[in-house]
Amino acid sequence: MAEQRAGVIHDLGYRHYDGPREGVATIARTLYVTGLRHAFGLGRSGKSKILPFLLLALCTLPAAIVVGVVTIVGLSELPLTYAGYTNQVQLLISLFAAAQAPVLFSRDLRHRSIVLYLARPLPAYVIALTRWASLATALLVFSVLPLLVLYTGGLLAGLDVGEQTTDLLKALALLLLVASMLAGITGFISSVSLRRGFAVVGSIVALVVVPGVVTAVQAITSEEDADQVGVVAGLASPWSLTNGLASAWEAGVTVFTPPAGGWVVVYLAVAVLVAAAGLAAIVARFLKVGSQ
Amino acid sequence: MSARTASVGPVTGDSEQVIETRGLTKHYGQVHALTDLDIEVGGGVTGLVGANGAGKSTLIKILLGLLEPTSGSARVLGHDIATEGEEIRRFVGYMPEHDCLPPDVSASEFVVHMARMSGLGASAARERSADVLRHVGLEEERYRPMGGYSTGMKQRAKLAQGLVHDPRLVFLDEPTNGLDPAARADMLRLVRRIGSDFGIAVLVTSHLLGELEQVSDHVVVLDAGHLLRSSATGDFLERTGSLLVEVVGGTTERDRFGEALAAAGLTCRPRGTAIAVEPAPDGLSVHDLVRDTAADLGLGLMRLQPDRRHLEDVFLDDAPAAAAGGSRG
Ligand SMILES: Nc1ncnc2c1ncn2[C@@H]1O[C@H](COP(=O)(O)OP(=O)(O)O)[C@@H](O)[C@H]1O
Ligand SMILES: [Mg+2]
Repeated sequence: MAEQRAGVIHDLGYRHYDGPREGVATIARTLYVTGLRHAFGLGRSGKSKILPFLLLALCTLPAAIVVGVVTIVGLSELPLTYAGYTNQVQLLISLFAAAQAPVLFSRDLRHRSIVLYLARPLPAYVIALTRWASLATALLVFSVLPLLVLYTGGLLAGLDVGEQTTDLLKALALLLLVASMLAGITGFISSVSLRRGFAVVGSIVALVVVPGVVTAVQAITSEEDADQVGVVAGLASPWSLTNGLASAWEAGVTVFTPPAGGWVVVYLAVAVLVAAAGLAAIVARFLKVGSQ
Repeated sequence: MSARTASVGPVTGDSEQVIETRGLTKHYGQVHALTDLDIEVGGGVTGLVGANGAGKSTLIKILLGLLEPTSGSARVLGHDIATEGEEIRRFVGYMPEHDCLPPDVSASEFVVHMARMSGLGASAARERSADVLRHVGLEEERYRPMGGYSTGMKQRAKLAQGLVHDPRLVFLDEPTNGLDPAARADMLRLVRRIGSDFGIAVLVTSHLLGELEQVSDHVVVLDAGHLLRSSATGDFLERTGSLLVEVVGGTTERDRFGEALAAAGLTCRPRGTAIAVEPAPDGLSVHDLVRDTAADLGLGLMRLQPDRRHLEDVFLDDAPAAAAGGSRG
């Protein structure tokens, strides 16, 4: 019968694979790099590259212009600090996170290809952590790039190296927090609301609308001499936490109700907690999907 | 433990058990999906048959470590599912029952990526993926986004990702689901080749009770989470004894042969160009009788195989209640 005959047909014979099979760490690194590339649309369709690179250009262009002005006019310092710059492009960073998180967190779940990952060596929590790390790195790249343009341009224009470096390091520490929080928040939202539109809207609410409301509350409370209320309200959004810390660290950002004393520690602790909670929620989500 | 030192040769022969379960039980709340299952599966192709809801997919997910059993234990490729899931998943392939392909990616790109997720390097992944896509019969289409694929092409792409890392065991969950008869036959032929030519042990499920008999060496029948029967395909034959035989020639030869078999004490009736032979009375060997009768008449024996339909008969005999809800393709 067919099976006997098939045994004799060897022209297209099946070949076994005896080569190396990488361990979990190497596989996770491959997934991490792929995810990082996908966050910028690299290795995906041409259309997928438009939005991330458009946002990146919008985010970086002002830095290039500032550098040009500083060089031509011969200023002795940058017109705004690194953390101040991040504060100015906060909306663009939020949009990037909201738009690209679904690429890393909704697709596999919506199309159920997650099952194919879970049937392979990487455990569900490693997949979740790797996805988060890809998005956090993408956000870091996105937000640090303009700062590097500023820094390099500033140094070339002869600005003080020590001052610039201290300033930059403050901004980098803040961006590390921002990237961790934003990746956790938007990653979780995208892994729950699998329709891209809902995920984007949800993320925009969390990263744009809520911080906007917090700022309004802080403006009012500062006006009404109820600063403490404004400081507490600052705990409610990732950006108000970041900007509060930036103001406390004298990184060149002013807020209506800056935290002081013990509140700075609270702000830092809450920021770390938000990042950790987002990450934990993502892991829980992947573990749940894995067992369905 | 290095995968490199592990034997990656194909599992052949039935000496080594690729799957072994002991008292495997799975409850989803009130639903008892699997009850105290003891199964042993060897090399070659094993059909896992049962009506919808019998627990086939649940069993596969537990064996892959995607689900935890409520109680009981299992070993896959010699590894304990409770503690060595990673090692199991390294050498096992899985073709899920449901759609699992991103529509905006090409099969080629996707299968390469999945190979890398199984631990193959970049160039090995590309090479294996091209090979495997050719074996499953996705040719030019493999560079097109999978969203535009027909069901048959999607099934092939799903199969390819399950084979790309050259597993030693592959779970195929309802690979013929949604396929038209021609595509179904193609898929079954492919399943057979994986088990025999590729030397990869296969556990393949179907809710169509008669479908897998032609391609399986062994059949496990599940009924509402209970093991109804597990035996070599040949054993089914011995129990019910029904055979299909065919001799070289036309209806004249067929009838001459049928009459001779009847004269020798067998009950038979024509079916198409073949003859269906009923189980023999005790003490008579149907195989020997058929062979001797053909030799006596000088007729060439062209076909001697189990009657396809009888797997359903086995199922109906053993579980009249359950089979009533099942599909009888
Ligand atoms: N996640 C789940 N939650 C609750 N019940 C489930 C779940 N998955 C499967 N079941 C139930 O378990 C039983 C076995 O299902 P399944 O393994 O999918 O059967 P099959 O694959 O043979 O059709 C069915 O009664 C099904 O409804
Ligand atoms: Mg099923």
